[in-house]
Amino acid sequence: MIAHLSSEQLAEWIAGQPSLMVAQHVRDCPACRAELADFRETLGEFRGAVRAWSEDQAGKYRENAVRSNPSALREPRSRTALNRMVSHQLAWALLIAAVCIVASFVLPRPVGRKAPGSDAVLLNQVDTQVSRTVPSSMEPLMKLVVQE
Amino acid sequence: MQLSVTSHLEPAIRPDVTALPGDFEALVRLYRPKVFRFALASLRDLDAAETVTQDCFLRAYQARERFRRDCSLQTWLMQIAVNLVRDRIRNRRFQFWRRASRSSQSLDAAGRTIADRARSPEAQALLNERVSAVWAAAESLPEKQRTVFLLRFVEDLDLLEIAVATGMKEGTVKTHLFRALRAVRERLGESI
Repeated sequence: MIAHLSSEQLAEWIAGQPSLMVAQHVRDCPACRAELADFRETLGEFRGAVRAWSEDQAGKYRENAVRSNPSALREPRSRTALNRMVSHQLAWALLIAAVCIVASFVLPRPVGRKAPGSDAVLLNQVDTQVSRTVPSSMEPLMKLVVQE
Repeated sequence: MQLSVTSHLEPAIRPDVTALPGDFEALVRLYRPKVFRFALASLRDLDAAETVTQDCFLRAYQARERFRRDCSLQTWLMQIAVNLVRDRIRNRRFQFWRRASRSSQSLDAAGRTIADRARSPEAQALLNERVSAVWAAAESLPEKQRTVFLLRFVEDLDLLEIAVATGMKEGTVKTHLFRALRAVRERLGESI
């Protein structure tokens, strides 16, 4: 038979995993039973106090958030947090689309780009070809005919 | 004000759901107070607790497809919250001035919220003092002991749930809990 429960044995009991010896002692010892009841009551009150305090703090935080940003009333913070990612994605998509549209108007097209005056040169070549009376391969023959 | 030491969750929604509801907003509404309370009690910093809570649900939302349903939603969310709180504590380890000034205010606030039940003023004062001592003891506990202590005695998680949420073995959780309780009880003995 142990005299009284040690701190460790009390902790065992409170944690809900007492050994047989500890359980037996608690049944038989009013002093330890009273001490355990006190400890449990304190922990219960602690739980209640932390919960009440947490609710109180959450309320204060919401009040401050609303005071500094009235739109927070319309949309809870949790919602804004969850939607932030989606909003960012949408914003990026819109931005990229806008850049593409602007770029298509501003940037010059690479196809069809020619040096200045290239059209005139081409037209001259065509004129030369068209103004020939015979094909170029027959030109030596035509010289012989003219000489005769 | 009458204080209840039971869970804040209604019995109808108390059973642990292991599947993510289609409406993520409902999940946030249900578990937000719990996550926020754990973060606040661990960090004792309102802004940090709010940030951790928002990050917790953001991460849960991003990882909702990977939720394996091998533990309850509550345990899964607390697991994310425990990791975020741990990261935050490590990041601010050197900001002890800020922490010290905030924690003394929190301690007073906790002392003021004790219920005014049918007790004599002396008994009430003694209980207030004991709760403040537990609050102070919880703050001075090493990080793992404090996490286990808060999950067990504020959030009502059992040892197995704490093991999943913290990533420790059940035996390790038990050891941390015993040590935390012993430290708290010693602090109580000093305060009275």
